[in-house]
Amino acid sequence: MNINFSLLVPEYVLVGVAFAVLAADLLLPRQHRFHLSWLAAGGLVVSAVVVLVQRWDTAEHLYGGLFIADRFGLFFFVFLTVLTAVIVLISHDYVRQHIRQPGEFYALMVFAAVGMVGMAQAGELLTAYVALELLSFSLYVLVAFRREDAHGNEAGVKYIVLGAFSSALLLYGISMVWGATGTTYYAGISEHLALNAGNLDSTLILGLALIFAGLGFKVAAAPFHMWAPDTYQGAPTPVTAFLAVASKAAAFALILRLFTQGLLPALAEWQVLVAVLAVATMVIGNLVAIVQTNIKRMLAYSSVGQVGFLLLGVAALGHVEGGVVIPVTLASDAVMLHLVGYAFANLAAFATVIVVYNHIGTDELSGYSGLAKRSPHLSLVMAVALFSLAGLPFFVGFITKFYLFTAAAESGLLWLAGVAMAASVVSLYYYLMIVKRMFIDDVPESDITSALIGIPRLSWLLLSALLIGTVLLGVYPGPLADAVGAASSAIFSGA
Amino acid sequence: MLELVHFQVLSAALFSLGIFGVLARRSAVMVLISIELMLNAVNVNLVGIAAFSDRAADVRVFGQILVVFIITIAAAEIGLALAIVLRVFRNRGSANVDELNVMKW
Repeated sequence: MNINFSLLVPEYVLVGVAFAVLAADLLLPRQHRFHLSWLAAGGLVVSAVVVLVQRWDTAEHLYGGLFIADRFGLFFFVFLTVLTAVIVLISHDYVRQHIRQPGEFYALMVFAAVGMVGMAQAGELLTAYVALELLSFSLYVLVAFRREDAHGNEAGVKYIVLGAFSSALLLYGISMVWGATGTTYYAGISEHLALNAGNLDSTLILGLALIFAGLGFKVAAAPFHMWAPDTYQGAPTPVTAFLAVASKAAAFALILRLFTQGLLPALAEWQVLVAVLAVATMVIGNLVAIVQTNIKRMLAYSSVGQVGFLLLGVAALGHVEGGVVIPVTLASDAVMLHLVGYAFANLAAFATVIVVYNHIGTDELSGYSGLAKRSPHLSLVMAVALFSLAGLPFFVGFITKFYLFTAAAESGLLWLAGVAMAASVVSLYYYLMIVKRMFIDDVPESDITSALIGIPRLSWLLLSALLIGTVLLGVYPGPLADAVGAASSAIFSGA
Repeated sequence: MLELVHFQVLSAALFSLGIFGVLARRSAVMVLISIELMLNAVNVNLVGIAAFSDRAADVRVFGQILVVFIITIAAAEIGLALAIVLRVFRNRGSANVDELNVMKW
């Protein structure tokens, strides 16, 4: 058994950064504490550099497969830590204005990052579960962080009650899978499924169904999405961005690894189930988004819709030909690409929401009327972000959806790609309604006094970077596609 | 004579009771207790399998390890949830889940 502790140095660095932020919080005078974002973001980037140097070409199984350090883990480690760093910087001005305990806020974000990298690299259900809970616990606190705010309280209670409920489902599923197979290692489950293909124990099937339901709650797939809109609306906006982008990416890293390395031999049993979940999620998310009047709530439903597209990729992970499961690596490429593209576009949208909120103090859509006259830069970023989320050409969302639909077609799920395209058209409608509001409608009379919205320099830089990223990856996705390809071949070769 | 199936039935019954409690109870504290019931149903299942399954000893002991992990995490989770519920109670004077309706749709 490999017990090479030094392999975990990047994780130690992350934990160290979190404690350093907490310690620095005690030492700094109160009015300078919001500057801790620099320490947190810097530490996150340092850990990404450390992991790149240390694990560039490793494919090691630590503790007999509890923890797998491969290209896939490396990709998600770098992606998730950089993502967290960006969210920490986006929240800089928000925290300065609205959050009284910046040290705890940033430290919890870094702890959440530790949980996320654990989820991407776990090779066993209990390890994955513990990592998932580390992420969830940090998020429970972050969601309810504004203690006096009624919306924040309500969001916190709904999130933690449904989160704990879904953990119970997940654990009951894990206990059944362990009872039926005698192992919780993905590799062991895969072996068991391959040996008993077509003749699975009912305990095992029930266990897998419960695990799907538990994970469905965590990624907010319909019909398990009820907590998402309330939680997204009530949480502090940077935390909403974190929930929508980072925690979802981590959950899909876990799902991709579990499904390819563990459950692929039983593809025939779960493919239809995941496809149906994908359809329900796409349809419900995109239809209910139309009637929203609050931008965070609308983005919440839009992100439920995006989860539907990602589940389409998961359903397309393989196809059965003559009783043999043939893996489709393109599908996991597509899911990872979509996660990256979605992260750029959604972070740009949330960064805009934060700047607008800091200025006008509301998240209602009416506050966005005539935004183009008040801040051309903000409305441009928002429009590009929404176009990319809708999947229009020249933006990264188009490329990633193209990959997803191609993968679905390759696995013989053409009907699913058709539903997804229809859902994309619906999503375009409500995204365009916001664009219309920003560019065609007039500024409401009451706000005319504070006509122009000034953008702080840091936010300006981040918004521009996210805007350029969304467009650049849309016209030149080559390098990203190569990196994603290398990462996803790592999980398939192990299966 | 006790067999594995008895534990599985007990566990399924407890789990179902827990789900019923989560759906039917008004008080957030009772909902949390119901969740605790569900988590302990999992523990009963694991302990039962660990004691009565016909697998090798090193496989069976893993069930008990899982139970220790679940107890620890569940305790932390409920502690955190109670802190948030307490916050709601202080702000609103009630901890009933059906009164948490500031946000709709």
